Amino acid sequence: MNEALILAMLRQRAASPVRLVLLAFLFGMPLLVAVGAPAIGLSVLGDGYGMILVLAAGMIGQDLSSGVLQLLFARPVTRSSYVLSRWIAVSLAGVALCTLQALFCALLLTLRSAQPEMRTLLLVIGDNVLLAFGLAAVMTLFSSLLGGFGDLAILLVVTITGKVLEAIAQFANSPIMGRIGTEIGIFVLPKIALAQVFGSADVPWFMLASYASTVTLCLAFAIVVMNRKELSYASSG
Amino acid sequence: MSAGIVVESLSKTYRGGMVRALDHVSLTIAPGEVFGVIGPNGAGKTTLFGCLLGFLRPDSGTVTIDGQAVDDLSVRAVTGYLPERLVMDRWMRGREFLAYHHALARLPKADRARDVDAALARVGLEADAGGKPVRKYSRGMLQRLGLAQALLGHPRWLFLDEPASGVDPAGVVLFRRLLAELKGRGVTVLLNSHQLDQVERVCDRVAYVSKGRVEAIETVSAGAGAARVLRVRWAAGGTPHAREVLNAIAERAGAALESVGATEARFAVADDQAAARLLGALVAGGVPVIEASPEEGRLERLFLAGEGGPR
Repeated sequence: MNEALILAMLRQRAASPVRLVLLAFLFGMPLLVAVGAPAIGLSVLGDGYGMILVLAAGMIGQDLSSGVLQLLFARPVTRSSYVLSRWIAVSLAGVALCTLQALFCALLLTLRSAQPEMRTLLLVIGDNVLLAFGLAAVMTLFSSLLGGFGDLAILLVVTITGKVLEAIAQFANSPIMGRIGTEIGIFVLPKIALAQVFGSADVPWFMLASYASTVTLCLAFAIVVMNRKELSYASSG
Repeated sequence: MSAGIVVESLSKTYRGGMVRALDHVSLTIAPGEVFGVIGPNGAGKTTLFGCLLGFLRPDSGTVTIDGQAVDDLSVRAVTGYLPERLVMDRWMRGREFLAYHHALARLPKADRARDVDAALARVGLEADAGGKPVRKYSRGMLQRLGLAQALLGHPRWLFLDEPASGVDPAGVVLFRRLLAELKGRGVTVLLNSHQLDQVERVCDRVAYVSKGRVEAIETVSAGAGAARVLRVRWAAGGTPHAREVLNAIAERAGAALESVGATEARFAVADDQAAARLLGALVAGGVPVIEASPEEGRLERLFLAGEGGPR
């Protein structure tokens, strides 16, 4: 991992007005709801999916399309270091925003005399930390495959495919197809419900292994894809 | 002792082999040499650069820099690169862009501010230009900034793809001066440019690339010793100069008269010394010389010959 790449990625995100507006909306909206209806509690936050997606969209694809990678890879920077730095940058930014949002929400709820439980707050933050690292890994892979914001298109297609398979499975009464659809859904939204982990007597090993393998495989494939990519503005000479 | 840049039988195709961009290119660039690459558009020059920098995977053949693979990090740590189309994160300011590349080049953080200021000054960018977002830079300023980043950290290998493109005349002079300075420091420079006169002025050797092949490699550092045609013009209105008189002057100076017009003549001269002798003899012979210039550069002739044009 490369500190300069991580910082540059974070600053690149902060320099995009469209992203900032979207993030401000996604960050502020649940807080406004929490102020208006404190009885809802911390569940008003949902998960940080939207914010993480806004941060992740085009994380590698934009660089592929713009042509900045040539200058970058003329430097002593490995492609794996580049991929991992992008993943870490998006994950950290996602973790920071989600945590800050949860803390603000807890503060607002407390001010509105609806103080949330510390355990619930920690579970919300923990879930979002895992979601940030997981979703960022999936987007890292998708973004390495297509330029620009092609990662969003891939995410959409894969998600719809999973849902369609689940729907077909119900009609066709096909458990296998249903399972495939469910696994696709888990793949594009890798997360661990910590309440389930800490609340049950048995450790949900499958959930943990599924999360870890999704993150690892996505990053490994993204590195392979980037290592195989040719960088040139010369298509024929 | 460095091995320089060694390219052996390098081939590269695109579109599943339909377009052959490089066809068994072999060349060796000695350490400290300034090596030019010229050729028409689509000749394969940029593809050659792409292979030399490790951006493209050749179909066959090898490239080594100082005996190492081109993507070896130890090579990249001492490589500077200015692409033909400089693309950078537009949100950065000039100084930030250089600081970013300073960090990527693994140069000491303690030297960053000083090195960035020095790099800006070196390419003639005002100190306040470093504080401007690069999206507000003109084409020439961008090119200078790109050159500044390529020079960060005193590279041993410098790849310049059309470095003077879009640069004003002052920038062209600065670029030439920088290249001379780099050459003096023993930096190996690979220069791709369409500006043949620039290439001829700064390069030791030049490869003419066409249709993916190196058709010729010309040594131009010995330019002072090369034969050429000198076009001499004199002031109009004086006594016409007879062909016989000019011919006699030329022969005495060791040159040969090629053709004569009303106010100009063309002489074949062996080298710079012969050209100087001829001009001295013409003036001494009463010819009011107002201009003398080589008819065309050697690279221009090489280029035209390669293109099948007039020699």
